[in-house]
Amino acid sequence: MEKLLEIGLNGMSMGAIYALLALGFVMIFKSTGILNFAQGELAMVGAFLCYTFATLAGVPYVLSILIALAAAAVLGAVVDVVFFRRMVGEPVFSTIMVTVGLASILTSLAGFLWGHDVYSIVSPFTDKTVSFAGVVLSQGSLYTMAVSVLLFLLLILFFNRSLLGVAMKGTAEDADTAGLMGINVKRIHALAWVLGAVLAAVAGIFLAEQSFVRLSMSHTGIKAMAAAILGGMESISGAILGGLLIGIVEGLAATYLSGLEVGNFHFGDVKDVAAFAIMILVLMVRPDGIFGRKKVERV
Amino acid sequence: MGRSFKTSYGADMALLQNLWVKTWLVLFLLALAVAPFLLNRYQMSILNEIMIAVIGAVGLNLLTGYTGQISLGHGAFLAIGAYTTALLTGELGVPFALSLPLSGCMAALLGMVVGIPSLRLKGLYLALGTLAFGFIVEYVLFHWDLTQGDRGLPVPPMSLGGVPAETEREIFYVLVILAILAVLAAKNLARTKIGRSFNAIRDRDVAAEAMGIPLARYKIMAFGISAFYAGAAGCLAAHYHKWIVPGLFDLSLSLAYIAMIVLGGLGTILGSILGALLISGVPHGITHLVDLFKETHPALSGLIVDFKLGIFGLIIVLTLLFEPRGLFGVYQRMKIYWKTWPFRY
Repeated sequence: MEKLLEIGLNGMSMGAIYALLALGFVMIFKSTGILNFAQGELAMVGAFLCYTFATLAGVPYVLSILIALAAAAVLGAVVDVVFFRRMVGEPVFSTIMVTVGLASILTSLAGFLWGHDVYSIVSPFTDKTVSFAGVVLSQGSLYTMAVSVLLFLLLILFFNRSLLGVAMKGTAEDADTAGLMGINVKRIHALAWVLGAVLAAVAGIFLAEQSFVRLSMSHTGIKAMAAAILGGMESISGAILGGLLIGIVEGLAATYLSGLEVGNFHFGDVKDVAAFAIMILVLMVRPDGIFGRKKVERV
Repeated sequence: MGRSFKTSYGADMALLQNLWVKTWLVLFLLALAVAPFLLNRYQMSILNEIMIAVIGAVGLNLLTGYTGQISLGHGAFLAIGAYTTALLTGELGVPFALSLPLSGCMAALLGMVVGIPSLRLKGLYLALGTLAFGFIVEYVLFHWDLTQGDRGLPVPPMSLGGVPAETEREIFYVLVILAILAVLAAKNLARTKIGRSFNAIRDRDVAAEAMGIPLARYKIMAFGISAFYAGAAGCLAAHYHKWIVPGLFDLSLSLAYIAMIVLGGLGTILGSILGALLISGVPHGITHLVDLFKETHPALSGLIVDFKLGIFGLIIVLTLLFEPRGLFGVYQRMKIYWKTWPFRY
């Protein structure tokens, strides 16, 4: 029972990271209609920025996170202005390919700036654990969960209570009408990219907290995409739920399936495909994700 | 200008539209035929890679460009073709001429299975579903004893009637003939009822169904045909590289194929060829450039190695930013420019 609880909690802290990345996807997809394949790369760059300030430059941890987030926001805005402002409304594939191109540009820039080694961020939570009722958890994952929950609440408040958030929802619903209502659609799109990049950077910093900073950490982005799809690609609560689900399933799969052998098939690192297996299963039952609404089509 | 008007359906549907096209095609085929005598071994290996990519890209374009069904897991179909032929020719001793269609059929079979969800999933959901399929296939190849995981499988060289094709030049002739056959088949398929049904499904599947096109049959058919092409390409790649590991067929390969058809031009056969040329050729082009600068600027070449991926990404991004329809769009713009010169319209 305690073991299960421990797996569940650790899975949830990983799931919170997926959820943050998935939220970034949803944010950008909803308002600009672009599926951003570079989300994982943005997270990687965010983590590297934080590492640069916190470990290399010796800036206090909290301050370096803030600097990294500000830099990520600027990066998001630049990416929107340079690449995606003119891609809005282009065929899905062209936009996907541009994000893939962006991903490889970011990877090679990061490889050039920071090298291909494995680094770790020294934070106040490094190597510290908390235990209660027989469950041992690292402080890092508790901190991840606490901050994520706070962020989720803030985002939900932002979208439901603030004028800007409502304007974003309106733009996502129908950009043309929103423009006619006096909403600056271009600025909303830029804001979506900024928010997406900042969320990715937060996720990257948490991910670095739980493991390391390296180029290949961008692969997490693809799993987060599965989380976003699970939730329905359009809904914020769906993305959060999808992320948590994938985190927990991964934890369970890693514990209970990893050593298994069936015939001449070894399960091995089943953790890496658990997210995709779950995604396929869910899509079979609900083709528009858990929270997705079926669109009524007119011929 | 008047001479370019078409007055019959026959002229509109013709495979070779006019004398210009015919002349250029003959010149192009001649160039292909003599290329092996003019190019060195390294350049031939690039050409061979391009030929394999052409086959795969044409297949993907039939699915994605013509039928509008997104597949982000095409690398998996290549993997299935490659592993099928490795097991067939390597373990069972089946001749290459037989294992090529068999590995295509194996991939087609799985493609049709993957196609079934496409009846329910649309757009991005289908894209991510196929992406997941790609990851699962890669995982299975890693963890199944039959495919030997990381160690990979050896593949014998391709041979026709017991005569092995071993030099780059011999392989080139095999590949070029197969690529031409693949292109011809696709081009003809696109002109038939099937091709037009594919287009109708791409443009609006609900409307297509209302007009009496059985969606299920045609979507699954598109997946099957496309996977057949991919399986054949995978089989050829396996025989060409002589050793296969699951890592060869990962997400980056699927994305490379998507890049080919998007950059080349969706829904056009010529586009797939141009895209395959660009995506397989550019990395070699960058390497070549680096070699040029090696003597004069040794420091620079170290930097460029880091930026190789980035430059590649930049080329993709810039092409799409300036012409979202890809190289085929550029080609058409140029054609219209020359046709109407000196007028702009």
